[in-house]
Amino acid sequence: MLVRTRSRFVMLIRTKISGDASVILTTARSPDADCVPAIEIMQQQTIILTICLSSILFVSAAVFADENEFFEKKIRPVLVERCFKCHSEQADKVKGGLLLDSRDASRRGGDSGAAVVPGDLDASLLLSALRYESFEMPPDGKLPDAVIAAFETWIKQGAHDPRDAPTGEAAAAEINWEEARRFWAFQLPTLHALPIDVSVETIRRPLDAFVVSRLNDSKLTPNPEASRNVLIRRVTFDLIGLPPTPEEVKSFVEDKAPDAFERLVERLLASPQYGERWSRTWLDLARYAEDQAHIVGNNTALCYPNAYLYRDWVINAFNKDLPYDQFVRQQLAADLVNPDDKASHIALGFIGLGPKYYRRSDIEVMAEEWEDRVDTVARGLLGLTIACARCHDHKYDPIPTEDYYSLAGIFASTEMFNRPLDAQREREKDGRAKKAEDAVHIVRDTKLQDLNVFIRGDVKKKGQVAKRRFPRILCSTESLSLAFEKGSGRLELADSIATRDNSLTARVIVNRVWGQLFGEPIVGTPSNFGSLGERPTHPDLLDDLSVRFMNSGWSLKWLQREIVLSATYRQSSDIDSAKQDIDPANRLLWRMNRRRLSVEAWRDALLSVGDRLAFQLGGPSIDPQAPDERRRTAYSRISRLELDAMLALFDFPDPNVHSPKRNETTTPLQKLFVLNSPFMVRQAEAFARRVTEAEASDTDRISLAYKIALGRSPSADEREIGLTFLDGCDEAEEETRWVQYAQIVLASNEMFMLD
Amino acid sequence: MLNRRQMLQQAGAGFGMVGLAGALNYLQAGEALPSIPHFTPKAKRVIFLFMNGAPSHVDTFDPKPALAKHEGAQPSGELYRKNTGSGFMPSPFKFRAHGESGVVMSELLPNLAAHADDLCVLRSMHTNVPNHEPGLLVMNSGNQQPVRPSLGSWCSYGLGTENENLPGYVVLCPGLPVVGPQLWSSSFLPGEHQGMSVDTNDMHVDKLVANLKHPNLTRAQQQRQLEFLSKLNRLHRDKRQGEAELDAQIRAMELAFNMQREASEAFDVRREPAHIHDMYGQTPFGQSCLLARRLCENGVRFLQVYYVTKTGKQPWDTHSENNKKHRELCADSDRATAALLTDLKARGMLEDTLVIWGGEFGRTPYAQNNKNKDYSKAGRDHHHTGFSMFMAGGGTRGGLMYGNTDEFGMNAVENRVHVHDLHATILHLMGIDHKRLTYRYSGRDFRLTDVYGEVVRGIVS
Repeated sequence: MLVRTRSRFVMLIRTKISGDASVILTTARSPDADCVPAIEIMQQQTIILTICLSSILFVSAAVFADENEFFEKKIRPVLVERCFKCHSEQADKVKGGLLLDSRDASRRGGDSGAAVVPGDLDASLLLSALRYESFEMPPDGKLPDAVIAAFETWIKQGAHDPRDAPTGEAAAAEINWEEARRFWAFQLPTLHALPIDVSVETIRRPLDAFVVSRLNDSKLTPNPEASRNVLIRRVTFDLIGLPPTPEEVKSFVEDKAPDAFERLVERLLASPQYGERWSRTWLDLARYAEDQAHIVGNNTALCYPNAYLYRDWVINAFNKDLPYDQFVRQQLAADLVNPDDKASHIALGFIGLGPKYYRRSDIEVMAEEWEDRVDTVARGLLGLTIACARCHDHKYDPIPTEDYYSLAGIFASTEMFNRPLDAQREREKDGRAKKAEDAVHIVRDTKLQDLNVFIRGDVKKKGQVAKRRFPRILCSTESLSLAFEKGSGRLELADSIATRDNSLTARVIVNRVWGQLFGEPIVGTPSNFGSLGERPTHPDLLDDLSVRFMNSGWSLKWLQREIVLSATYRQSSDIDSAKQDIDPANRLLWRMNRRRLSVEAWRDALLSVGDRLAFQLGGPSIDPQAPDERRRTAYSRISRLELDAMLALFDFPDPNVHSPKRNETTTPLQKLFVLNSPFMVRQAEAFARRVTEAEASDTDRISLAYKIALGRSPSADEREIGLTFLDGCDEAEEETRWVQYAQIVLASNEMFMLD
Repeated sequence: MLNRRQMLQQAGAGFGMVGLAGALNYLQAGEALPSIPHFTPKAKRVIFLFMNGAPSHVDTFDPKPALAKHEGAQPSGELYRKNTGSGFMPSPFKFRAHGESGVVMSELLPNLAAHADDLCVLRSMHTNVPNHEPGLLVMNSGNQQPVRPSLGSWCSYGLGTENENLPGYVVLCPGLPVVGPQLWSSSFLPGEHQGMSVDTNDMHVDKLVANLKHPNLTRAQQQRQLEFLSKLNRLHRDKRQGEAELDAQIRAMELAFNMQREASEAFDVRREPAHIHDMYGQTPFGQSCLLARRLCENGVRFLQVYYVTKTGKQPWDTHSENNKKHRELCADSDRATAALLTDLKARGMLEDTLVIWGGEFGRTPYAQNNKNKDYSKAGRDHHHTGFSMFMAGGGTRGGLMYGNTDEFGMNAVENRVHVHDLHATILHLMGIDHKRLTYRYSGRDFRLTDVYGEVVRGIVS
């Protein structure tokens, strides 16, 4: 629920504290950084000082008049005058990590512990410091006894402090961890009993039971299975990102064996093209790119000319079905897992190809880079927006700022490393390759450091030290959140993520794979499983599938097989208006979603139907728009500075940041590309040549064109319309009429839609 | 009950079945909803000049002498962003009243000053949050959570297009602003109401609208081809009843074909004489404003020009060097915006063209990054509880300063205008009752202003 701001009445209050200068005091406020796309308004609390302007304010102040008055008269002026110089956000340098300008900060205390513990004189370091018993504060002279006595009274009576709400920046102290862990995403997933009898005909796999059960609750039934032609086209695009060939379609449609679909799926999962297709799903979330958003002059020293080695590692990892837990461990810490297996270190490109910003000697710039690493890991692998906690405690999830810096410290202890490709390459003293062209772009540990919390994200305002360790909410109890002690902590980080003990890791990847195969994930916000994210439409299904995924050795191929063999996946995408009335967005999965092809699958399909697709795996990147380029779109050069115009036009994500899922736009500019681009014309020519060389009559050619491009035979109408078009071309067009025809088939909606 | 458009869609009139002439009929589905306008419109089209990053109100349209008097003092009250510098920072820029009406603006806007009597300055704007992403979403879609239909999409949906050969809603931006296509999303409205974003990094018409012409085929050949395509697509769609996306794809294709006829002219700013180019300024924003005028003239209903540069997605976000940057940004924006007003007026179009100028929020009256009171380095932070925008033409009252912030420019206090109110007013000027422009989706009626928004009657002429 959004809190309306309309009625908010805000005021400025001028107060006199001491002396004669009219000073306007500040309240502690709840900061906002620009990281949460959906911010709700926080309830704000105003503080009321000596009021001289507005009578309206007394209403809310009246309740606490006495305690407030004591604080305002006896405590606050002393804090402001004698402490704030070193212990407030206005301080040039905050001493001892201690802030006294808000209630929460003073209760949390600084490096040495809590400054104010209500009711406990002995535990309140502030008091012993004022008494010159522990610290000697203020350092320039002990305060009068009466003032110290006032502080004693104040603390003894509960240290009433009206300055801010118990939310905001010191939420760390306020998080009720036990309660926070009850949130669904922080509970470990478990197996679930199937909610309905599995002998039901519409159930092929356990997941179907969960889907059908929810459908039944809404008086819905699943659609019948799609036709063979539709199925093979769907599953071939889904698993290898290409259309089936006419021969493949024919053999599947005619295969009467009961396991025909199973065998088809096995063939596809074993195809080398599988890794090419699935690599892109990973590279989107890894914000894979080969250069930087800012390139000064011709200085490409910060770019990644051999980034493709990492892309190829990802393709290969998918193809050999590297278990997902190992897949993650290697990308975070291959150098620490297997120091001697240099080839495996290429996996570190996950971190090592991150954006590098200009002026890297500056700590402010590095703080931005650390945020990129934290964000990519946190949203990408954990589905948590931990980077939101860089400037303030997370507003909605139990992630204190300290936990952000605990992760950032790991990356502050890690450096980007251009490791020479081989011994022949020139290197600097520190082992780096002299030229980026001669290197693989990975990371390595560097000078180890725990970062201080940067108060409000300001690198000049250092708060307490945040030991490198895992976010507390993801540790089964707080005490398990042990400091990472091996090197930078990357290996421990990897181990804390790639484990069954992590409630998010398996769910997040299972949800992403589901989203790829159904068009909509179970959790609609695949990179935000926090409280502002969406809740799963099928929580038990997600949990059950996640556990079974882990039980199956974290095998992604197992997961994809499990999903595509389900009856839910095999449903037709037909719209039944009665069902649509009940569930217009198909959240309950009474049908397969009709989907659009990604730009990769669409371009690859165009190449494929012209029989021009090159099947070579791996290698340097290509220009996807070049009319004569025959390699798959997964090999496109990906630029942070200037993303390829065709990719950008068809909703390829911005590689500067992690992409949770792709946008889908429909614009006439896309259609102009389809109608007129040299790339399309070239594909049409190739397609026309293929069809005209294979068949003699227009009728046969039309049939073949449909089989190649759309995996089915044309209907009588379609054949007729086609013949009419071809016949209507005049003699001068003899050469081009088939090219014209071919282009229209390629431009048709069916060409980029999956039923 | 079906409205007329739905009937047209379901009856399947048009393109393909009856040839290309039919296509044009079909596109007339892009006319206004049958009930609209709800009353006589004052504006036919909108040009929204969006100062990405949020301009400072106290340096442009909202003079606050108290900032000098209380220089360095800390603000109090409900604050979202505590000052990390040294308190209130006076604007170094001189303010003066202009025109017969006496509309006040700073010396940063000398050209707009000449239009003082046409400007309707809203000094009491406020929005929900001081963060760019949600702020941009609120200003563009009325909702801080993605994704809802944008203001431009609602206008296009309600009013249809004036020219079936061009999109009804065009977004001009060098690259993409922060947030990106969500800002002009049609969301659950039919896809043809999505803004068409054009990358204005290169103003050559073949770069603005790439692939406008087939390399080999004549228009007649392509026309036959398109008829054929449309027949295929309709056969495909008819077997997939209820799939709204397929209609949107079909219409995007029709529009693309039709655009070939006019876009090369409408998008070509090189056809403008040199003195017009000079008047707008040879900057990306200036040239984009000029392009916006051309497109308006050619019947584009809703234009948005994002002030974004190739190196900065939110140049107005002056967290440091506020004064220097505002001087530079205003110089560019002032010249181009004033030229647009002059130009529209000269063509008799200002009367029914609503021009809107502003950002997602304003900037703090107090300083940020202000070490040692060095105002040359100091910035201003995001500020959403009081800021300024202006409107001109399109039935707004010129020469008006509407609403007020408090003496420091911290909070809108008098005649407060929330973004929902702004949206209600924009729709009102377009002849639409914001409470009656609804779309049923997922079981409930949605509208741009949700359950909020009041038309700001005081600014309607």
